[in-house]
Amino acid sequence: MPKVKVDGIEIEVPAGATVLQACEMAGKEIPRFCYHERLSIAGNCRMCLVEVKPGPPKPQASCALPAADNQEIFTASEMVKKAREGVMEFLLINHPLDCPICDQGGECDLQDQSVAYGRGHSRYDENKRAVTEKYMGPIVKTVMTRCIQCTRCVRFAEEVAGVPEIGAIYRGENMQITTYLEHAAKSELSGNVVDLCPVGALTSKPYAFEARSWELKKTLAIDVMDAVGTNIRVDSRGRQVLRVLPRINDDVNEEWASDKTRHAVDGLVRKRLDKPYIRKGGKLVAVTWGEAFEAIAKAAKGAGNSVAAIAGDQLDCETMFAARELVHSLGGSMLEGRQGGLFYDTSSLSAVNFNSTIAGIETADAILLVGTNLRWEAPLINTRVRKAIKKGAKVFAIGPEIDQSYKVTWLGNDASLLTKLPAEIVDQFKSAHRPALIMGGGALGLEGAQGAGLAAIETLGLIRDGWNGFNVLHMAAARMGGLMLGYATDGGVKAIAEASPKLLFLMGADDVPFDLFGESFKVYVGHHGDKGAHAADVILPGAAYTEKAGTYVNTEGRVQRGDKAVFAPGDAREDWTILRALSDVLGKTLPFDSFEGLRTAMYAAVPALAQEGLVDYGWTAPKLAGKPKAVEIPSPIKDFYLTNAICRASPTMQRCSAELLHGEDFAEAAE
Amino acid sequence: MTSFIQSYLGTGFGWFVAHLVYILLIALPLMLAVAMIIYADRKIWAAMALRRGPNVVGPLGLLQSFADGLKVFLQETIIPSAANKGLFLLAPIITFTVALMAWAVIPFDAGLVLADINVGLLYILAISSLGVYGVIISGWASNSKYPFFSAMRASAQMISYEVSIGFVLISVILWSGSFNLSTIVMTQKGYYGDWLGGLGLNGHAFNPLLFPMAIVFFISALAETARAPFDLTEAESELVAGYQTEYSSMSFALFWLGEYANVILMCALNAILFWGGYLPPIDWAPLYYVPGIIWLFAKILFFFFVFSWVKATVPRYRYDQLMRLGWKIFLPLSLFFVFLVSGFLMLTRYGAAG
Amino acid sequence: MSLAHIIKSYTLWEFVKAHWLTLKYFFKPKATINYPYEKNPISPRFRGEHALRRYPNGEERCIACKLCEAICPAQAITIEAQPRDDGSRRTTRYDIDMVKCIYCGFCQEACPVDAIVEGPNFEFATETREELIYDKSKLLANGDKWERAIAANLAADAPYR
Repeated sequence: MPKVKVDGIEIEVPAGATVLQACEMAGKEIPRFCYHERLSIAGNCRMCLVEVKPGPPKPQASCALPAADNQEIFTASEMVKKAREGVMEFLLINHPLDCPICDQGGECDLQDQSVAYGRGHSRYDENKRAVTEKYMGPIVKTVMTRCIQCTRCVRFAEEVAGVPEIGAIYRGENMQITTYLEHAAKSELSGNVVDLCPVGALTSKPYAFEARSWELKKTLAIDVMDAVGTNIRVDSRGRQVLRVLPRINDDVNEEWASDKTRHAVDGLVRKRLDKPYIRKGGKLVAVTWGEAFEAIAKAAKGAGNSVAAIAGDQLDCETMFAARELVHSLGGSMLEGRQGGLFYDTSSLSAVNFNSTIAGIETADAILLVGTNLRWEAPLINTRVRKAIKKGAKVFAIGPEIDQSYKVTWLGNDASLLTKLPAEIVDQFKSAHRPALIMGGGALGLEGAQGAGLAAIETLGLIRDGWNGFNVLHMAAARMGGLMLGYATDGGVKAIAEASPKLLFLMGADDVPFDLFGESFKVYVGHHGDKGAHAADVILPGAAYTEKAGTYVNTEGRVQRGDKAVFAPGDAREDWTILRALSDVLGKTLPFDSFEGLRTAMYAAVPALAQEGLVDYGWTAPKLAGKPKAVEIPSPIKDFYLTNAICRASPTMQRCSAELLHGEDFAEAAE
Repeated sequence: MTSFIQSYLGTGFGWFVAHLVYILLIALPLMLAVAMIIYADRKIWAAMALRRGPNVVGPLGLLQSFADGLKVFLQETIIPSAANKGLFLLAPIITFTVALMAWAVIPFDAGLVLADINVGLLYILAISSLGVYGVIISGWASNSKYPFFSAMRASAQMISYEVSIGFVLISVILWSGSFNLSTIVMTQKGYYGDWLGGLGLNGHAFNPLLFPMAIVFFISALAETARAPFDLTEAESELVAGYQTEYSSMSFALFWLGEYANVILMCALNAILFWGGYLPPIDWAPLYYVPGIIWLFAKILFFFFVFSWVKATVPRYRYDQLMRLGWKIFLPLSLFFVFLVSGFLMLTRYGAAG
Repeated sequence: MSLAHIIKSYTLWEFVKAHWLTLKYFFKPKATINYPYEKNPISPRFRGEHALRRYPNGEERCIACKLCEAICPAQAITIEAQPRDDGSRRTTRYDIDMVKCIYCGFCQEACPVDAIVEGPNFEFATETREELIYDKSKLLANGDKWERAIAANLAADAPYR
């Protein structure tokens, strides 16, 4: 624990800390471009120069200098000021003065720091360097003339995303950042380089020229594109969400977000349901709310207690709770959230939880992936696994072979392998300190796979003192919340289809096998005109995740809440208000009149939802038959970019899918 | 002319037609005069404020008043829903009619008067007292606060100043020994003629005993017609537009015309009572070749100029100052001068009445 | 009360003096100009009706940087931008609510490309308020109409900036 003095303030810093970190601990701001907490240290921008004693009589780059005992650091001396001005001047030599047309303007590190630390005027009269644009795919727009060669993007692609496709070519003044052969960067996390770029060299292509940072209303919310529960900030102007940025939460998403999280939002203004519809003679006809409710009331009269609700993947707990109460009040009991037909035992919620937690998985030293395409199902958990590998973890996988962006030992695509793992692997797990198993959606649906996975707890010794290595990775943001609210019927969707409910509520459920429900009167409550709406008899327009406040439980059982950023378009309403109004018409008025009332009722029913943070399910494992047949494990996600209704409506996601997954060439169109 | 028409239409009907013609001969030019005098008014204020005044409509802007009239005429008459409709519409008509009626006894020249009655001055007093009804009725019928306050102010103001006007007139009547306006004019002829070698001055105002009364009368005339500096009935900073607040279109225009007709009447009375009416200012034979009506008009115009001049010069009085002036200065002053004049006349046995 | 004071108040001396003054002014030359036919010269810095200028080659200057929108104290400016077909940054909407505008001139000060300017025109009264909500086409048309005057004004003011 070295003791250093920063501008006369004596502090103790942890061993291995850099001078820059020491200064930050002392509350001093050190300007920087290339340094980033979550990336390796490059030390090439020279902006973080400070004066350090003892040492050479010149300023030193604080980001790359380890803090040592008895160091005296000066962050505001004349030498430092001059050094910063000099560095700033050099950086600005080739940086164009095009801030007015730069999307980074207003949230630009270079702008801010040149105001704070620069000279205030230029002495440079020569021509500036110009660099040709590099194609980086449908997400990242490049204006490479603005690049200051901090190499944050290069380090991110290599270290975090695991796609070493971005690099620098040439030297000195001619240095240029580019992708390999100028192909699109094929990463689910490429959007993060836009945030990382301290200048406007890499900006968001779909968001190009849309808005300025200062005109946006910032709302804190939770992402629903996958089960990670990425903490996001929704930036909106007027009634439109313009972009989504990740918030820092070290327990969940660190400061990253997947491209789907960021860029699916342009789907929120397309293909929206903005008024109620009734199917008349096979065609959907726009009607008023009253007419739609009357039609449902008529169907409900004949339905008796044959009522069911299927929840979609992106629902908040409040909506699911309101739907549950409505179904119960009508006498029904069939609730299901695993809309795709997946079925597994849910008698113990801890047995279907991501028990080692998202942050915890990076401390694992042996990881077995079972039937999961981690890179697509949860890109941010994939980055954690990458981190674990960097610390020396071994990763094995059962399932279809794919590029996980790190080294995986593939054991084969056979579900029965779970019960007969090779002895050497079992030994490796036994000798590991923190072994972990991640079961994905592909494996869970197979008969016996869940039991075999649970049985592996014993064989691999996954549960140790203070460590639970048994993890189930869900793919839907609503899943854990739905399971907590009882959205699980024995037999899954197929069982409900066999019961053939007269009245079926599809709560934003788009991936239900609708042909099984030919007899049911289907009421779709949702926000997009997608598969669910096409199959419905009555459509009630609801709110998307940015248009309602909500509680979400992510795959590790973390309760998180998001706020409402904008209003739903047209006649669309927040889902719970729709259900509340419908319950009035049905004569089964739900016992809450406000969102607060709804939450209070929900907390009373499921107390675990009242507390933000990890839910303690208490470990129990059900005894299940564990003999999976020797079948191939299917890929649960066919197309990363088109997994839900919002993505499917998003032109950006469609283009990503076409270009990055199906190899269509858009490079020409971008110019 | 009466006899000329009577010779064709018979005595009774001929007389009626003739007087109808006389009335029109007074009323129509009067209307025209009002229009031009409004223009003149605006031009005079403008000049004193170093502005140009209306100069766009017609040559030198002469047709401005007609343009304004046309505009007002084409506007919608708005009657407030809470107003008393009948009275609301009656009020401007009263103001307008009364302003015209007084002109019946004004002598334009020797013998040129519509009704040469012996109680001419009493008639004028009576008619001008009626003017207050228009204001009060409009204020009350509007059923609105500002017009009502304004009407109360206006009635108090007019009544107050009529008191001193009455006493001023008594001084004049005492001196002239008649209520007949033509007689009053004629008695003003040739002041100091003996001393000035026949070139006497025509006008009571040259009489030191009546000159202060002339001033008091002039100022009271300002107050009576609610002109600046006594335009408290329309004090826009306090009462919006006073009793006219709720009026629009033609009903407003009638108030407008009535007010200016009253102003001209007061100018005429100033000229007739104190400044020799249709007589030339100096009792010198060549001046009598100019028709008397020209002299009268010249004097009326001069007094109107003074009216505008005052308006352009003096700021508005406070209401308590107005009342103080009326009751505590003009009333005792005019009373005192009634005493002085009557005392002087009694002691000197001046005039025929004695 | 002195004798002079008494004499003054009884002869209404202050009034006479005041009237004498106004009478003198009555004959003085007029201070006002004959407005619709004569106009005062205006400063090159005069802040009148807004206009969006173009470059000599016809390209609109505005690059949708939104600095004018940001600085507008009356929040009278609304801008929406999108990449144009050639990839350049342009506005798809540029509205000024002339009813909200307070003619402070901050927008033209903020503009990095001299696109939005307040021209010399002050005679743009309309019969309805709707007409005072200017859109991009109206502003560009203004720019085309007043370009010569605006350019001359900018040139005249340039040495003092």
